[in-house]
Formats: sequence, C-alpha cells, structure tokens
Amino acid sequence: MTAETSPAIEPPAGRGRDIAAKPRWRRFLTGEDGIQKVVFYIPLVFMTLFFALPVALTLVWSVFERTRFWMEPGFTLFAYETFFTSARAENFLHAMMHSAGAVVISFVLGFPIAVFVRRRVPEIAQHRVILLFILPFMISELIRIFALRPVLSRHGLLNSFLMDIGVISEPISAILFTPLGVVIGEVLSFLPFMVFSGFLAMEAVQKYVFEVCDDLGAGTVSTFKDIIVPLAAPGIFAGSVFIFVNGLGVGLIPNILGGPGATNAGSIVFESIVALDFPLAMAVSAIMIVTLMALLYIGHRLFDLTRILEPIS
Amino acid sequence: MMDTYANPWAYRAQWAYLLIIVGALMAPVFYTIYISFNEHGFGAQIYDFTWDWYVVLFRNQQIIDSLSWTAYLGAATILTAVPMGLIAAKYYKRTRHKVVFVTLMLSPLFVPADILGSALLVYFKNLNRAFEWLGDSLGVTWFYGWFELGFFTALVGLILWTVPYAFVVILITMSRYRVQQTEAARSCGATAWQAFWQIEFPQIRVGVFSASAFVFILSFNEYTRTSLLKGGFDTFTTVLISHMFNTGMSGDSYAMGGLVSVISMAVIGAVLVYTLAKAERLEREARAKAEPVAA
Repeated sequence: MTAETSPAIEPPAGRGRDIAAKPRWRRFLTGEDGIQKVVFYIPLVFMTLFFALPVALTLVWSVFERTRFWMEPGFTLFAYETFFTSARAENFLHAMMHSAGAVVISFVLGFPIAVFVRRRVPEIAQHRVILLFILPFMISELIRIFALRPVLSRHGLLNSFLMDIGVISEPISAILFTPLGVVIGEVLSFLPFMVFSGFLAMEAVQKYVFEVCDDLGAGTVSTFKDIIVPLAAPGIFAGSVFIFVNGLGVGLIPNILGGPGATNAGSIVFESIVALDFPLAMAVSAIMIVTLMALLYIGHRLFDLTRILEPIS
Repeated sequence: MMDTYANPWAYRAQWAYLLIIVGALMAPVFYTIYISFNEHGFGAQIYDFTWDWYVVLFRNQQIIDSLSWTAYLGAATILTAVPMGLIAAKYYKRTRHKVVFVTLMLSPLFVPADILGSALLVYFKNLNRAFEWLGDSLGVTWFYGWFELGFFTALVGLILWTVPYAFVVILITMSRYRVQQTEAARSCGATAWQAFWQIEFPQIRVGVFSASAFVFILSFNEYTRTSLLKGGFDTFTTVLISHMFNTGMSGDSYAMGGLVSVISMAVIGAVLVYTLAKAERLEREARAKAEPVAA
C-alpha cells in the first residue's frame, strides 16, 4: 500500500492536528520534544554547573600555587603540608570529636522521639507532630546560636534556672566559650534533623512489625536493638552524617559559642579566605568534601540510603 | 512492652519529653525576644517593657537598606528556586537514574555553608577571570563582570541552599497525585502543559505554596553563603553579625534577633495553619465523596 492510496488518517481533535499544522519554530516552543523537554534538564544543568563542578574543583585548586592575592595553576601540596603540620590539624581533630559527641547526644535525645511518634501517635496525626520540629529548624541557625549566648552565660537563663531549683548554689561559668558550649550549640542546631531523618526511615517500617514484636514477647531493649535500629539504619546514618559534617563545617558555632581559639573546618576555611590563602581554604574544603563523600558512600553500601526516600518515591 | 492503655502515665511521660525537647529548642529564641523588650537589656536586675530597641532599629538607614536587599534576594530566590524544585520533582518522577539525580539534588544540604560558599567564591572568581580573558581575546568588553560578586552570585548561593527543600516539599505533595489523571487528560486531547497546569498543578499547589514560604525563610535567614558571595551590599543577617562582633551584644542586637525570629515564626505558622486547614478540608471532601462500604 502506498501513501497515495492509503486513506488519510484524521488526527484526533486537539494536540495532534495542532502540532502537525504548526511551523517548526512553534513546534519547538510548544511541542513536547522541543523546549518542554529541554526545561526538564535545567535543574540538572544548574546543579552540575554551580554545585558539582565547584565542589569537585576544590581538589584541583587545592594544589595550585599561592600568589600574593590569588593563586596560579601548578602542582604543590604546600597547602596540605601547611594544614597537617600546624595547629589547624589538631583543632580539626578536636572539632571532629566535638561533632561526634553532638551526633551521639542528638541520637540519644532525638531518635526516641521519631520512634515514639511512629509507634504510639495515631497515623493521621504523625506528620503534624513532626511538624513541631520544623519551627525551630526554620528559625535562622544564626539566631539559634546567637540566642544561646544569653542562655548559657554566667548570668544567663540556664544558671538562673539551676540556681532557682537549688541544683547549684554558684553560677557555672564553664559552659559558654568552652567546648561544652560548642557541643550544646551543635546539638540544639541539628537535633531536628535526627528527628526528621529518623522518622522518615521509620515510615518505611510497617506498624504490624511492632505488633509482631509485642505478640512474640520481645522486650523493649531487644525490639529497639534488633528490630528498630536495623530497619531505621539508613535514616539514623543520614541524620548522623548531616550532624557530623555540619558540626565540623559550620564555622559560626565555635565563633559565637567557643570563645577565643575555638575553631573547626568551616572557620579555618573562612579565615583562610579572609587571609587570601585560597589554596589552603580549598585544601580544607577538599578534605571535608572527600570525608563527606566517603561517609555517604560507605553508608550507601552498608544501609542503602535510597530506602529513606521510599515513602515519597 | 509498653501498652498505651495499660500504662497511660508512660505514654504521657513520652509526650511530655517530646514537648520538653521542642521547648528546649525554642527557649533560647523566646528568651532573646523577651530580652529585646527590656529597656535595660540583658543581665539587668529589673525588667521594664519597651519598644525602644525596635524603634532604634527602624530608624537606622543601614538596617532598612539591608532589609530591602534581603527582600529582593528572597523574592528572586522564590522566583527561581521554587520553579526549579518543581521541575526537578517532575524530572525525578520520570528519570530512570533516580539515585544519581536525587544525590545531586540533595547533596547541597550536606555540604556545610562555609565550604560550599568558599568553593563558589573561588569558582566565580575563576569564571570572571576566564570570561575577561575571553573578552580580551575577542576584543570585546561584553564578557566583563558577568560573574563579579554581587546579587547574581549571592542568588546562586541561595538557590543551591534552598532548592533541595523546595524539591523535597513538592515531591512529598506530588507523591499523593495519581498519574492516571494526567493519562486520562492526555487521552482526551490535552497537551502536556494543559494536563500539568489544569489537572496536576491545582492538586500540588499547597506544596508549591509551602515550598515558596520555606524558600523565603531560608533565604531570609541565611548568613554564611550570602556573606561570602554578596559583594558590595548587606543583608539583614550580615549586618546583625557585623554588629554583634564589632559593637557587642547591645539591646538592638537582641531586637534584630527578635525581629528575624518573629518574621520566621509568623511565616512558618501561617504556612502550617494554611496547609493543615487545607488538608482537613480535602479529607472532609474525600470522606463525603467516598462510596459507602457495602454491607
């Protein structure tokens, strides 16, 4: 059968006929294989150009040679040498320990809330209860850290409260401007994230799992250790990595709460930029990025982090 | 194993614990607001209520200018990050490479502000130099200053910070949408745009609205990325920090902190009330339309 002899097939009313009649440029603007298809790639292109590329290039810039006000292409490990042979490396390790402490405290304080909401709160109200934690999370991190100064200081809210209830007779002055102040700042800044990611992971756990545990007579500890933690492991891990990396990288926390000399990776990077030592700033950034990528890769291999997104996929 | 009905006190204790944690997270913010209304500032033995610190704030031209810049940046971030989050959510639904795409979209949440801000600063400086070199090679000045630190670079930093939130919020709303409705609309002759705009968008409007509010709050509150990428102008948070480090914690610093917190709480409170009321109404409608269960 040839095209001449075949009966003309009438396109359905609407888009088929419209598109066939349109010139090519209009088809590009309105057709589904034209600009509409291109639009879908905008986020991908934007994130690649302005996130993936700059982050990957920190590795390259970290080996450039420092000039007086900038840097020039070359290969030197001087920035890494400067970092590892100075007090910065020791400060970095201390910041890592503080951050790890904040992770543990956030898990102990925050994860039971995620479990409680998933297990005990009626399903219809669960998201509303979790929304309670959106409020502190949405108030500026800067303000939440800044607001801790009057709370933790010698004449602040915490000391007044402890003295009023008779726990202490003299105000404690070793909270603000100490590592303890930094850890408190990290916990109060990032705790909601442990609740969110823990709850998101718990959403994938069906409620009958808890009923089965009850029916089989499993104790609270064994249910938590053998059932809840393994099932919620991706969420716990994602929350922990977020807190660890941000505790290590948000320079404002030690700047505002840690007192003189307190530092972490973020403040080292910021100070290096101010001192126009760009290769050093990029070297510390590269160390942070590699640490983050390694942690996420290990977590993904161990726990399959995509499981967290199952409820919204 | 705890039984809610057999042991109601343990259940109540768990609720009390949850509320204590929320209270502990919010207490410093409310305490700052409380101090901001004390005429004598922090640490005074007496408390006299006053609006004066806020009056001082709004008479300061630098603060007014910084609030304007913050509002411009917030509006520009909403206009760019929310559509991008929406497109990303649509792309996520149709792509086969979900893991790679979602990793790329959510990674900016995990990279601390100082690290990403510094990487972008160096990136923009390099791009600027590269474009200047290109302009010089071609003998034109048109390429000069494209990536000079300023509004555009600060906006890019804010988009990177806010787009993961917009993406997740819209994706959550989209997960309740049934794609069969789009298929039905297409079968009836609707174009892809008509099917999206007239069928899908009305059902995900709440998510887009919430994402806009979150994006605004996040951009309003952001400090580190903006301070690294903003160039010559100041935003409210950069003024607050320079004020705090240069002149110490005065009464107007607390008023600035109080103002940021009140605006954030008002916006987020309005969003929560609106979305919950909307969800309630949709639920009632769904119940009313539902078929009765056969006996």
